[in-house]
Amino acid sequence: MLGRMEGKYDVVVVGGGPAGMGAAIGARDSGAERVLILDRSLEAGGILMQCIHSGFGLHYFKEELSGPEYAERFLEKVIDHDVDVFTDSYVSGIAIDSDGTKGVHVMNKEKGLFTVETRSVALAMGCRERTRGAIRIPGTRPSGILTAGLAQKLVNMRGYLPGKRIAILGSGDIGLIMARRLVLEGCEVVGVFEIMPYSNGLTRNVVQCLDDFGIPLHLSTSVAFIHGRDRLEKITVAPVDQDFRPDMSRASDIECDTLLLSIGLIPENELSQRLGIRLSVVTGGPWVSSTMETSMPGLFACGNVLHVHDLVDFVTRESLLAGQFAGEWAQGVRRPKDNIGLSPGDNLRYCLPHSLSPEREHTIYMRCKEAMKPCRIRVGNLMEKKLRFVVPAEMIMLKIKPDLLEKFHGETLRIDILPAEEGKDDI
Amino acid sequence: MISETEHYTCIACPIGCPLRLEHEGNEIKEISGHSCNRGAKYAHQEFTDPRRALSTTVTISGSLWERLPVKTTGPILKNHVMEAAREIHRLRIDAPVQVGQVLIEDFMDEKGINVVACRSMPRITLISPGHRKHPSKKRQRVSNRQYNNRKTMHKTHDQ
Repeated sequence: MLGRMEGKYDVVVVGGGPAGMGAAIGARDSGAERVLILDRSLEAGGILMQCIHSGFGLHYFKEELSGPEYAERFLEKVIDHDVDVFTDSYVSGIAIDSDGTKGVHVMNKEKGLFTVETRSVALAMGCRERTRGAIRIPGTRPSGILTAGLAQKLVNMRGYLPGKRIAILGSGDIGLIMARRLVLEGCEVVGVFEIMPYSNGLTRNVVQCLDDFGIPLHLSTSVAFIHGRDRLEKITVAPVDQDFRPDMSRASDIECDTLLLSIGLIPENELSQRLGIRLSVVTGGPWVSSTMETSMPGLFACGNVLHVHDLVDFVTRESLLAGQFAGEWAQGVRRPKDNIGLSPGDNLRYCLPHSLSPEREHTIYMRCKEAMKPCRIRVGNLMEKKLRFVVPAEMIMLKIKPDLLEKFHGETLRIDILPAEEGKDDI
Repeated sequence: MISETEHYTCIACPIGCPLRLEHEGNEIKEISGHSCNRGAKYAHQEFTDPRRALSTTVTISGSLWERLPVKTTGPILKNHVMEAAREIHRLRIDAPVQVGQVLIEDFMDEKGINVVACRSMPRITLISPGHRKHPSKKRQRVSNRQYNNRKTMHKTHDQ
């Protein structure tokens, strides 16, 4: 045990973002008495607080909200559900006793270092942005190079502009949205550079954030060199070949004082790693069963810590479920182990959860490798369904009924995305 | 009259159909390229009355953060967006603020479109030491060179 023992809980949720709040509400709804949310920032709400653009809640609240509005509605629910929330509190580790009791080590200003005892834990730490080191851009190391999400926090919450003439590398949604934000705040955005031949963000963001403001999007182009001693002075951009190697003969220099990176997100799993939880190589998040339980009994995971979602509404749905099972686990409910494994086949990067049970209905989340339209999805020999399109930027969701799973007697169910068959009607 | 063609990219779903709209003056002749009704509707809207939702932030004092997120309650005319943002940025808000609180009524002379706060910001009276940023120095004009050498970030609306 580390520090003083501070209270006993049924469920402790690590992270107070949309996933953490969803899990806490789910846990209380399942009947767990004492639920605690731990969050390292000054207020709960997570990344939503800096996402001031609208487009949240269309599925869950059936109306278009901004990030802070979505968070505030959930925060009210959390308070109505009698959930304890400790903000400005950092979880430094989790210890697991032989009887399954867990001790969550926490640090905060008020209480110092202390341990919270709990029956089950829900991991909802979210994800982190990839930085310059992840893509190894050659050049000097001046100031003025930061991730798009950090710039978003500085502009939208702290009231700082990161610079005046801005280039953006990567066309992820945050990068596109920041391009528009910075123009509205009076900056000049010189262009968005994307190494892939297509944009990584949603079409509506390309149209409304770039086209509307006349910001050029350069596809198959990357930043090949960074110049500047103290502050970023200019970047060298070059078109890339099929192997993503820059063609320096066609390179050009662009003057700018700031480079924003929007080059992808990775689930934040330091805590999980230290616990020795089984992690998926593809998603970077924990391996989870259909109850959202990780390979460690009584430890659940949900939200972006598991895999990066495109819509917060899906995070909420997933985390309410995870919270429900975490709450049940705390009350001594032990469900039978899943007996059907799930594996991604053709044109699928991953599918979640990693196993299923014929006991309940399941929602499977999938991400494809490349765009295809029209196409069909095949679940083992159980079902086939036509899809109008698949794109890597949009998660594919599929509901599977329990009676269908009962017909399956193998060990692993394989899901494929295949081109549509000509002249064949719906099955 | 000579017929002209406008090109749009549909935003109704992630397919992003390339839309073509043929028109003679203000009269729409043909919409093509869409694969569902929503595409045709979008092209029609973009041609006759293009509008955009606007979210931005304004200065707030006496609260945990320095900026308050705000939005227009309805979409505003697309070519008014930059002007509207500048107009909103003139606001100076004092905490506390409640979510949904109307900050500007009938914004840009459009009946029923208001600018509202997107979150509540309670007034902070007691601030623990770690929360406080450095006491702000008196703002002074800096030369371009000093600007380049400055290690700190720049406050928005340097004026």
